[in-house]
Amino acid sequence: MAATIFTVMIVLLLLGFPMMVPLIVGAFIGFLMMFGDMGQMETMVQQMLAGIRPASLIAVPMFIFAADIMTRGQSAGRLIDVVMAFVGHIRGGLAISTAAACTMFGAVSGSTQATVVAIGSPLRPRMLKAGYKDSFVLALIVNSSDIAFLIPPSIGMIIYGVVSNTSIAELFIAGIGPGLMILAMFSIYSYIYAVRNKVPTEPKATWLERARTLRLALWPLGFPVIIVGGIYGGVFSPTEAAAACVLYAMVLEVVVFRSMSLNDVYQTAKSTGLITAVVFILVAAGAAFSWVISFAQVPQQILAAVGISEMGPIGVLFVISIAFFIGCMFVDPIVVILILVPIFAPVVKSVGLDPVLVGTIITLQVAIGSATPPFGCDIFTAMAVFKRPYIDVIRGTPPFILMLLGLAVALIFFPQIALFLRDLAFAK
Amino acid sequence: MMENQSKRHAHESSLPGILGIVDSAISRVESFLLAVGVLLMAANTVANVVGRFVLGNSIFFSEELNRILIILITFAGISYAARHGRHIRMSAIYDVLSPRTRKILMVFIALVTALFMFLLCFYAVKYIGTQATRGRVLPSLQIPVWMILIWAPVGFFMTGTQYLLTAIKNMTSKDTYLSTYVLEGYDQDEIEV
Repeated sequence: MAATIFTVMIVLLLLGFPMMVPLIVGAFIGFLMMFGDMGQMETMVQQMLAGIRPASLIAVPMFIFAADIMTRGQSAGRLIDVVMAFVGHIRGGLAISTAAACTMFGAVSGSTQATVVAIGSPLRPRMLKAGYKDSFVLALIVNSSDIAFLIPPSIGMIIYGVVSNTSIAELFIAGIGPGLMILAMFSIYSYIYAVRNKVPTEPKATWLERARTLRLALWPLGFPVIIVGGIYGGVFSPTEAAAACVLYAMVLEVVVFRSMSLNDVYQTAKSTGLITAVVFILVAAGAAFSWVISFAQVPQQILAAVGISEMGPIGVLFVISIAFFIGCMFVDPIVVILILVPIFAPVVKSVGLDPVLVGTIITLQVAIGSATPPFGCDIFTAMAVFKRPYIDVIRGTPPFILMLLGLAVALIFFPQIALFLRDLAFAK
Repeated sequence: MMENQSKRHAHESSLPGILGIVDSAISRVESFLLAVGVLLMAANTVANVVGRFVLGNSIFFSEELNRILIILITFAGISYAARHGRHIRMSAIYDVLSPRTRKILMVFIALVTALFMFLLCFYAVKYIGTQATRGRVLPSLQIPVWMILIWAPVGFFMTGTQYLLTAIKNMTSKDTYLSTYVLEGYDQDEIEV
């Protein structure tokens, strides 16, 4: 049964069907084979509706809405300016600023695509002008944007938390450590790149200039405080933090900066609704799919076939990492999380792994996979945003992927990279 | 994306006559529901947070209202997304095929997708029927549960119709269409933010 379902799904995916279709068809076949006729299809609809029911999923449209407002308004630009004023002048400073701005914007948006657009679009021309090669610039933007996946708020982590019944607040905090380590590695690489390719440095900003950009960015810097501080301090649940961000973003852009009219807010709401629907129909179809394969004990069959039970925790984490990495090279991250998390759920439980650690590792793999050829989805976002051919976008990625995979291995052997802050915050 | 749509009015239908009027009216309604759904959800969630911190108590129906809204947004949105060719798809292989193969494949994709949408619509109607006979209500709002689910079959039906029309459009016209609204090659439309 499993072989039939997955073969059909992969074929539909590769043919270019909308991604909800392989999930729906997979679930249909599952129900059909499981119950022998169409009698249980009502259950499938029921499971789809149950999939979008969890209250914590409301954080997804709220974070998307807040990020959408900020990208259309001035917040994103002001964040870039302040980073630039402080690190722009050091060797490779423009590249380091780009990575740092992606990390910061990740802290307010939670979406890699939004980060590519909001940070990559304004910074790429500046880097090209400064003398960086386009292959490096594109790879840096695509890979740095993936830091947004790990830095809270993260849409991927919310979905993982809901699917695996793990605390989203703990996942958010656990993502910070690895996220900052990636930023550090990319910064070092940018420095070395700039030295080796003799990229000239930018003029140093004066302290007056720094103070000015900092003052302008003071308001947008409130977002990480609300999200990280609010959740870390136990003031907000992730959904509440998301709501606070929406309120804050609206007040900033409509009242303080006056960069958006009420009609702009309406249009933004419409676009948020569209993105939400596209994600949530996948969540709904994924829920029906994972219900039926779990009911049919497919995960157990697959895991037994791989012989995972003899591998021990480290081996299990490696198998999970590889599965997610490969999955995300081909398919949208949310779809991969929806399909693979329920499959690995039994073994994560039986080996006694910390679901927060597993979630962080999965999120990291998802981030790496979505920037990795052949089909990592951020490559295509970058192609569309920057109007560059495929080969140009991927040419510079190998060093970045090697660094990220290095961190992925480190995270398996030193889980404290992720869990240190979590343990501190939630006093485990 | 925006500059592309301004060339053509956002809700203008490509269908002829009375069908076109109905289609563009539906498009307007869907986009209105999407925007209002998100705004209401934001207002509700924000009010709940403010209520909890400032007034010390939460809105008792907040969670139920969001449950109603998320169903509304999802199912109004899938049809709107289908109309604008915005559903996520892995088109790397599709894109390198010859124009003729792409056209045939697109007709096939649209027809199969439409078929499954109509099937889901049918079973969603049956499911709602079962729910209605059970007479369950939302605990706080006292609204019958089947009523809030009504958007599901409506959304599946409208989405199925969109894909069916896409197939017909591709069979009757020279170019290849990703949706009734989006001609293939308009790459601005593929930017998902």
